[in-house]
Amino acid sequence: MNPHPADPLDHPDVRNASAVGFVAGYAASVGLMAIALMVTLQHEMSYAGFVIAIAILAGLALLAQALLMFQLNLSGAQRWKTISLLLVVPLFVLSIGLTGWMFHTLYPRTMLDFMQVQGNGM
Amino acid sequence: MSRTAHRLIGPEEPLWAPHHPEADPVSMHTLGFWLYMMSDALIFAALFAAYAVLDHPYNAAGGPQIRDVVHPAGAFIQTIILFTSVFTYSLSMVGLKAGNRAFVIGGLLAAVVFGAAFLGLELRDFARLFAEGATPDRSGLLSIFFVLVAAHGVHMVFGILWMLVMMVQVAVKGFTTAVVTRLLNLRIFWMFQASIWVCIFVFVYLNGAYR
Repeated sequence: MNPHPADPLDHPDVRNASAVGFVAGYAASVGLMAIALMVTLQHEMSYAGFVIAIAILAGLALLAQALLMFQLNLSGAQRWKTISLLLVVPLFVLSIGLTGWMFHTLYPRTMLDFMQVQGNGM
Repeated sequence: MSRTAHRLIGPEEPLWAPHHPEADPVSMHTLGFWLYMMSDALIFAALFAAYAVLDHPYNAAGGPQIRDVVHPAGAFIQTIILFTSVFTYSLSMVGLKAGNRAFVIGGLLAAVVFGAAFLGLELRDFARLFAEGATPDRSGLLSIFFVLVAAHGVHMVFGILWMLVMMVQVAVKGFTTAVVTRLLNLRIFWMFQASIWVCIFVFVYLNGAYR
């Protein structure tokens, strides 16, 4: 690495460290996961409602980590990290979602005893 | 890149260090490492996709279902420990901002201890499952369960090793440009493990236990 005339501790990636932000991010992450755990243990929702609820809680926890722990924003120092993350998230969701959907529709048409397994609730 | 191009981006733009002949080395390396972590996220996307496919009673092959192998309360304790490890690493970045070596090394040491505790609980969980006969070769469902959770665990191992190296480098070399850049990259790597664990905890442990 070439020497740089500036003090590395003055770099924006170092200067944006915020104890308040880290505490808030930690508290939000733990709190949201605790709520997700309680929703699971209470077992009072339909399965579809449960999946939506925990997906929202996970999304909020990831958002809290991105904004408060990673300190992502649209400033000059963080802009391209934020943009690259926004571009990767759809790839992440689509690759999982489309694969799951493809096999969800494939199973009933290719596995002879699929309906029996479903019916038994195994 | 020409100076004209610098002006088009803007004089406040730290990524391009318009007042210096070379690019800003810290931003250049952290952005590069960030893009690497985005590709690492897609490796986990492939593992989550495989899990979504194999998480079906048919793929349990008559063996344990996912609800039989996950324990959400235990996983929540792991979650708190991992988040605490990331939090202590984050606090070490506050020490870095103040130029305090002892603060940074202390934060890294705490992150190592909590990270090791997380791995210890994970290994204990694996040992329990193995003792019950729930091994990766039992079914496709258990194969992807172990691969997904262990892939995250392997990342944690390398993160802990990296932190140990950085503790030595901070103590010996101080806050040089190279050391600060590595600390920032390690921060990205370590926080990324918490984000991936959120997905594993929610969509594997909680979702599996609800069935």
